[in-house]
Amino acid sequence: MESTKILDAKGLACPMPVVKVKKEMDQLNEGEILEVHVTDKGAKADLPAWAKSSGNELLQDAEEDGILKFWFKKA
Amino acid sequence: MSNKVAIIAANGGLFDAYKVYNLATAAAAGGSEVAIFFTFEGLQLIHKDGHKQLPMPEGAEQMQEGFQKANVPGIDELVTTAQELGVKFIGCQMTMDVMGLEKEDFVDGVEVGGAASFLDFANDANTTLTF
Repeated sequence: MESTKILDAKGLACPMPVVKVKKEMDQLNEGEILEVHVTDKGAKADLPAWAKSSGNELLQDAEEDGILKFWFKKA
Repeated sequence: MSNKVAIIAANGGLFDAYKVYNLATAAAAGGSEVAIFFTFEGLQLIHKDGHKQLPMPEGAEQMQEGFQKANVPGIDELVTTAQELGVKFIGCQMTMDVMGLEKEDFVDGVEVGGAASFLDFANDANTTLTF
């Protein structure tokens, strides 16, 4: 997937992944895509929940070698 | 997004601070309008020096290592983050008077008010939490 920006949030614990994603999304324009890499297992449920409450769209998620990846489209 | 989250912080331990600030920052990051009312021992959570050295519950000292291992952010970082995200801090005037605290004893950006100030915010909040 074509990402506008990649956010490396590996190693961060709750609530920082959500906070970092929000701050990065604020910098993007509508329709642009943020790719996020995290290792916090709680983020698996938290980042989709964040997308729901913030109104941004979760396009896809994946897990590779213990790294969780998410793609969000800015609303 | 017009969600409002109202939080009462009435206790001054390290675990209390994490509950308050984690939920406040997560809510604000999700687009909610958030206010925290700090009262009684909860005032330690915004005290200039106090918030950096909050006590662990008795018998939980061994968890110190767990906090570091999990790379949990410090309370000072969470205070800054919450304020950056627009979380409103309200210090309770009455308990400040009881405890001999002034507005200057707190981190910058704290508003001082009473029960009515908090209730005015909480009246139409979707979520109200007490810690």
